[in-house]
Formats: sequence, structure tokens, C-alpha cells
Amino acid sequence: MSLTRRRWLAYGCAHCATLAAGGAWAVDDWQPPPRFLRPDLASDEGGLWAMVDREETKLRRSSFVMRDPALNDYLKAITCKLGGDHCADARVYAVRTPWFNASMFPNGMMQVWSGLLLRVENEAQLAAVMGHEIGHYLKRHSVERLRDAKQRSAFASVIGVFGLVGALGALGAVAGGAAFSREHEREADRIGLLLMARAGYDPREASRVWANLRAELAAGPAGDPSKKSALFASHPPSDERQATLAELAGEQTGFLGEAEYRERIEPFMWGLLDDELKRTQYDESIALITRLADKQPQRADLRYFRGEARRLRAKDEDLSLALADFDEALKLAKPPAQAYRSVGYIARQQGRKDDARSAFTRYLDAAPDAPDAGMIRNEISELQS
Amino acid sequence: MKKLALSLVVVALLAGCAGVVKVGPGETVVGNKLAVTIDTAWNQFNGAGQQGPSTLWTVDGITVDNLRFYAGLKDGDLLAPNAPQAKDARPLAFKAAMRPDEIVALYQGLYSRDGSSFTLDKMEPTEFVGSKGFRFQYTVVRKVDEVKLSGVAWVAVRDGQLYAMTYTAPRLGFFTRHSVQVEQIAKSARVKA
Repeated sequence: MSLTRRRWLAYGCAHCATLAAGGAWAVDDWQPPPRFLRPDLASDEGGLWAMVDREETKLRRSSFVMRDPALNDYLKAITCKLGGDHCADARVYAVRTPWFNASMFPNGMMQVWSGLLLRVENEAQLAAVMGHEIGHYLKRHSVERLRDAKQRSAFASVIGVFGLVGALGALGAVAGGAAFSREHEREADRIGLLLMARAGYDPREASRVWANLRAELAAGPAGDPSKKSALFASHPPSDERQATLAELAGEQTGFLGEAEYRERIEPFMWGLLDDELKRTQYDESIALITRLADKQPQRADLRYFRGEARRLRAKDEDLSLALADFDEALKLAKPPAQAYRSVGYIARQQGRKDDARSAFTRYLDAAPDAPDAGMIRNEISELQS
Repeated sequence: MKKLALSLVVVALLAGCAGVVKVGPGETVVGNKLAVTIDTAWNQFNGAGQQGPSTLWTVDGITVDNLRFYAGLKDGDLLAPNAPQAKDARPLAFKAAMRPDEIVALYQGLYSRDGSSFTLDKMEPTEFVGSKGFRFQYTVVRKVDEVKLSGVAWVAVRDGQLYAMTYTAPRLGFFTRHSVQVEQIAKSARVKA
């Protein structure tokens, strides 16, 4: 499968500056470059590789790396489907960081953050983001960025090339993407879409990734992400990006891999949702989890965590909506014990002492060794007095 | 002359970087509202490590041990200002009606907002500043250097205001070095009349 020449040309005409700067963009027959050789250490690129190698050494030892062989094999297999010969040079790490991000470095190290794993709905969407990062890699954008920064005597900004990884900084909601220029992003979008289509994925999923992320960020206090979010600051405006990706994909179909994807991340779902809640960005979390729950209405964990986000936000009708979520969670398969505790909190807040005591008791029955067991026992005792 | 000028410049720079003042021993008042008694002197740090309305003390340095006081935060006050990279994020605001689990969620957000991991190890009722309150223990793996930190916090909401004290230090070696003394400080804490 490949994208039609007409669509690529249509896209190219909309971005003539890119075409002029980058030479003829041979669309359908564009081929990735041969595998990259390790550059001379004395060169600027060699120095860049050495720096990234050191970061990778640290990352290998990091407790934030998700060391699950099945997940790692899965991510590597997607990389190989997309990257072809370059697969041999790629090393993929799933990293526990609850924001949407992935990045690929010039030495072949790729990071996929857990926040991305929570947010994509199927393998095709994950492939869209990974394909985009492979696009940056194949076009060696970080090297270009390095040289550009050196020319402008702005070497400090080079750390932005790699986002906020490892010792270079930890606060990293969205940093990886902010480092590249809009033209680099457009180019990586095009290549990523081409790679995913060639690998047999449904290319229409690429625009859905951005639509979903935009909707989530729009629900947050910052509002329209194209105006305020750092993620979108150097990316093409998301409406343009969505429209372009959707137009390029057209009516092409392909592999979605929803069941395969869900099966692979199932062991991590509770942890991913727990990390998401800890961000305390409840407006965004509610939008995100609602989207996931709409697709998977039988999941008790999604009901529970959305209920928690609503309970902790406590705005307008949040408490009654949260209660409905907890009630639903407790009716579904694998009901989390924590949902009883949450029901207890709300019942106590609403003055329903018997209901609160009963719910807290059920929580302790199910989780007698919970970290907050002492606190809940005290709640029960106060409710009895 | 050159040496003198250089020394003056260095002193001026250091003064601008951080204000560290010795506090204690004896009774010490934090933020004009919270009085504690300490056996040995601590260093109060007023520099870049300062977060919003809290007061930071340390013995061995702020990246090592970290004793933080929140002396009477009012409804709507922030536990800490938003990081510059996330200035539009939902702020970590204390609300007078917050229950213990909601306050823990705020601290959880504070400790994990840089990508660090936060685990609640224990939470139990206790008295703090002469009021009914709670104490919680936690573990943080600091994202920037992967150091595993242990922490303990005492919290009470009194007259709608938040009084809290948190102590965080690397689990290996440092946490236990001052934890007994910190427990004593927590016991001595009272709201200044």
C-alpha cells in the first residue's frame, strides 16, 4: 500500500517552500537512506552521537524504563515494520513518564513514553507517532538542528534537540517535539505517514492521534492548544496538521491492530492510569479517559479513574457523576477495591454515614493492607461515634 | 586591588544567589505562624529552591535533606507555583474543604510533576499543631538523577488553613540521619498565638 501520487503532490503544492528547500520530493518512490554509519568522533555529528550514547547508557539503568520483554519486542517489531533496514540500528525503550511523547535520537535510541501508550487506541496510531519519529531520524533533523544552533552561537538550545531526557532535564510534558522546526515536523509527518502506509497500517489513524490530543488539551485550563501548549508551539498548527494528514491518507485503509495493542498494554493499564491521575490535570484526564471508556465501556478501571478525576476536581456535578462512575465500576468485571473507598468518601461528604461506613468497611475487607488502612479505620470509627 | 574587587564581586554574586540563614537551636517561628522547637541549628534556604509560600530548611543541602513548612495556607493558596514549562497547567491549590486524601493528592502532584515517581507508603491519623491531623510516608524516585527518596509529612487543617511539614531525603544514608530530630520538631509544632 502506498499513498497516491496525487495526494502527495497536493500536499507538496501546499508546501512549496519545503520542496524548494529540500529539493524534489519524489513522493511515491521516496526511499529511506542507507543505514547510517557511526560518524567520526571528531565531527560535530560524532560529538552528538557520543552525547546521546552517554544518555542511553544512563537510560539502560533507569528505573523508569519499563522492562517487559513482550512489550519491548512488540515496540521493536513496530519499529522494524516502519524502519526497514534501519531496524537493525534501532533500540526502543518504553519509559514511564505520563506525558504524550516519543523521540528518536541520531544513534538509533528511541524512547516511547508511557503517556503515549495510554493515549493511543491501536497499533496504527502508535505506528503513526513512531513513524513520525523515525522520519526525524531518517532525515537527520537533530543533526541539522545542531548545526543551525551552532551557526547561531546558540549551542545551549541544542539540548532541546533531545527534549528533556535524562540528565538534560526531567520536566517534560511535551518537550521532544518542541525542539524541531515546523518544517521538520511537516517533513517527519509526511515520511511517517508514508512509512506507516507502506507497512500496511491504516494511515487515517495519524490524523486521529492529533485530533485526540488536541481535544484532550483543549479540555484543560489552557484551552486551545495551538495557541498555548508548548507541544504545538513549533509544530504545524494542529488543525492544519490534522487536515493535511487526513487529506494525505484519504480513503486508504489498513491494519488497525486494536486488539493486539490492547493485549500488549493490558498489564500496565492500572499503572498508566494511576500515573495519569497523579498529574492532577483532572480536566484533561477526564477528557482522555472518557474517550478511552467510550471505546471500552466494560473496563472497570477506566470508570474508577474517571470517577477519581471527577471526585478530586469536585466541580459542579462532579461528585454525582463520580458516584455514577464508581457504581458502574463496581458492577463490572474486576472491580477495583479503591472504588469502595471513593464511594465512602462521597457518602461521608454527603452526610450518608451508614453508606460511608459500609463502603469503607468493604474497602478494608478487600484491601486490608492498603497504605491508608489506618486512616480509613479511623474514618469508620468516627462515623460510628 | 584586583583581588579585592574580585572578592567583592564573588560576595555580591553569592548574596544574590541564595540567602541561607541559620535558625535555632531553640524555639523558632516559621512564616510568623508556626512555632517549633529545635535541638540543633538548621539552615533556612531562601534561594532558588524556594517554592511559593513554604519555608525550606536543610542541614546537608537542599538536594540532600529537605524539611519544608507550610504555615497557614489559606483557601486558594498554591502549594507551589506552576513550573515555567507548565504555566497554564491546573495549579496545585489548597482548598479549605479538602479532606486528607485530597491533600495527599496535591502533594502527590507536587512531587511527581517533574516526571518523578511518587508512592504513598502509609497514611494514618495523628495530631499536628495541636489539632486532629494526619501523617503520611512516601517514596519518590527523583527523575533528574534517579535517587530514591524517603519522605514523611504531617498535616492538619486548622481554621480552614493548611499547616504541614514535609521531610524528604535520600533513602540510603541521609533520611535516617535527621528523621528522629524531624519527628521531634513535628511534635513540638504549634500555631503561634
